[in-house]
Amino acid sequence: MANAKAKAKTGGIGAWFKEKWNDNSITDPLHRTRYFQGLVVKIFAASLIIGMCFTILYPIIKLFPMVLNNVEELGNPDVVWVPKSFSIVSFKAAIRLVYGNFSVMLLSLLYAASIAVIQVFISAMAGYVLGRIKIPGGSLIFILVIVTFVVPQQSLLISQYLRFKNFDVLGLFTLFTGGTVDLINKPITLYLLSLLGFGLKQSMFIYMFRQFFIGLPKELEEAALIDGCGFYKTYFKIAFPNAIPTIMTVAILSFVWNYGDTYYTGYFYPDGPFVAVKLSQRFAQTQSDTIVTAVQTWFDAPAATSFAFDAVRQAAVLIFLVPLLIVYFCVQKSLVENMEQSGLVG
Amino acid sequence: MKAETAKTKKTRKPLTFATTQKINGYVFLAPWIIGFLLFFMIPLVNTVIYSFNDVQVGETGGMEMEFVGTDNYFDLFNTEVSTKSQQFIRVFSDENSNVLVNTPLIVIFSLFCALLVNAKYKGRGVVRVIFFLPIILGLTIVTDMIAVSTGGDMTAVETTATEETGFLMSLFTTNSFLPANVISFIVGVISDIFTIVSKAGVQTLLYLAALQSINPSLYEVAKIEGCTTYETFWKITFPMVGNMTIFVFVYTLVDLFLASTISQEIYAFAFTKNKIGVGSALSVCFLINVLAALLIMIFILTKVVKLDYGKR
Repeated sequence: MANAKAKAKTGGIGAWFKEKWNDNSITDPLHRTRYFQGLVVKIFAASLIIGMCFTILYPIIKLFPMVLNNVEELGNPDVVWVPKSFSIVSFKAAIRLVYGNFSVMLLSLLYAASIAVIQVFISAMAGYVLGRIKIPGGSLIFILVIVTFVVPQQSLLISQYLRFKNFDVLGLFTLFTGGTVDLINKPITLYLLSLLGFGLKQSMFIYMFRQFFIGLPKELEEAALIDGCGFYKTYFKIAFPNAIPTIMTVAILSFVWNYGDTYYTGYFYPDGPFVAVKLSQRFAQTQSDTIVTAVQTWFDAPAATSFAFDAVRQAAVLIFLVPLLIVYFCVQKSLVENMEQSGLVG
Repeated sequence: MKAETAKTKKTRKPLTFATTQKINGYVFLAPWIIGFLLFFMIPLVNTVIYSFNDVQVGETGGMEMEFVGTDNYFDLFNTEVSTKSQQFIRVFSDENSNVLVNTPLIVIFSLFCALLVNAKYKGRGVVRVIFFLPIILGLTIVTDMIAVSTGGDMTAVETTATEETGFLMSLFTTNSFLPANVISFIVGVISDIFTIVSKAGVQTLLYLAALQSINPSLYEVAKIEGCTTYETFWKITFPMVGNMTIFVFVYTLVDLFLASTISQEIYAFAFTKNKIGVGSALSVCFLINVLAALLIMIFILTKVVKLDYGKR
């Protein structure tokens, strides 16, 4: 067998084919047809998979010639994949325009992480009760969770905004301080939303936890209860630690989405230290001329055109993606494995 | 005095297990319930109220409202235009056709991806890494910003794009019998493939979870009975992921609507044009639109996918 393989390698693909065709071990014509059918299917599937991988990666691959090119050379129709002269001016400009000393990026990473922790805790609690504890009105509350999931937040934007602008709970603040509180542009707004279960896509996280806790074997908790654990001890010692797969999945998704979110942060805390908001403000289409001028003066590149705007913007996105990609490559294996155990079966 | 307290202690029944569970359950749900009232129910009701009123924010921060009936709705569709100077009926129809075309495509694509990722072959780990990248690359901010957007001197890039689709067009027209509009639809989908790919990350993950939970003995039985791969897919895989299909459909539809430009329009109405009433009317229309699309889709789906198979 090994001999045959070595022979095939030396003889090229035609010889290998002939070898297989005349192989004595597969003399049966039906078997032979099956073998070559399988081979065709395999080649087809492999090219399909490679093609799809390429499709997914293509937009990112396409960025590199653009951002690594000399800003004055951009737009040259002769240059498609390999720049004539390399430079990292785009990255320098992006750092100078948006990132500064990277403190903003650090702060938004911290923000995303803390929101993710809050969302995991609150969603797990709600999901546990909905999935495990029989309470009157439980199914109604579950239906309401689904409703909050399908109602787009945009349709509530105005009245939520006005609500935060003049924040008051049952007239209590007016009673004590003589006026309402303006919560727009304050970080507490975003934490409050997550704490009360209405952060980014939190209804979906509650749903995921509910599905997990429904599938979790009941015996563990029953044993804990019989051994004298109360409700809280059972939850924190038994149920919550057993939900690690779902916790991981939810935490990762929540972290990624909150880091890239521009809806909540952009509307309720527009001046906050959020990279995503900064990027979308700084690289709005109207800013094109300003940025081109900045590049021209800063880097002594008078021939830079509006292509430079695209290049700087794409460099900025690449820097934006770096922490996410690092996190992704660290956790991707456990993300997939956890998803398999997370019991989310619809 | 002492005797009395002892007596009350005696007469007060200890709480039963079920009652404490219920109380603690409500304690755990309390944050969500408060949030639901504060951030969902009251804003929803307020939005509907605003949409029937002419709302002005007063000097002191209070609201001055004047009931105007359905005027806001008529204004919205008759006189107002979007920030891109389009009629709102046009904005809505564009949005809906976009969502209703892309949703099935994304769902089918993600099921396909999940099947590829779930199969066993060499190098599956690498393929998985790449296939779940859209979770990150699909963030709206990323897809918005990696798009090449410069107008004017963009001719070089644009011509290559039309050359690519032009090649496909000629390939289809010369080698197939399909009518021209079908071909242009297919070519449109193909050239728009990154939109579909970038939206399919989470869905692929969800489908993979569903595929993993199918009992392997079902496949063994099918193999013993001599089913082809094709039959196995339609008789076992597809029905077993039926429930997940519904969830993925709902998720995709909601996700696509969330990414729409309507939120900017609503914000523009309320805070740059200072027409809170009309903005609220737009919000209500958008909400009704999304729910209607969702109900129609679920109605059609429950006819196609047989739910009972998937129930465990």
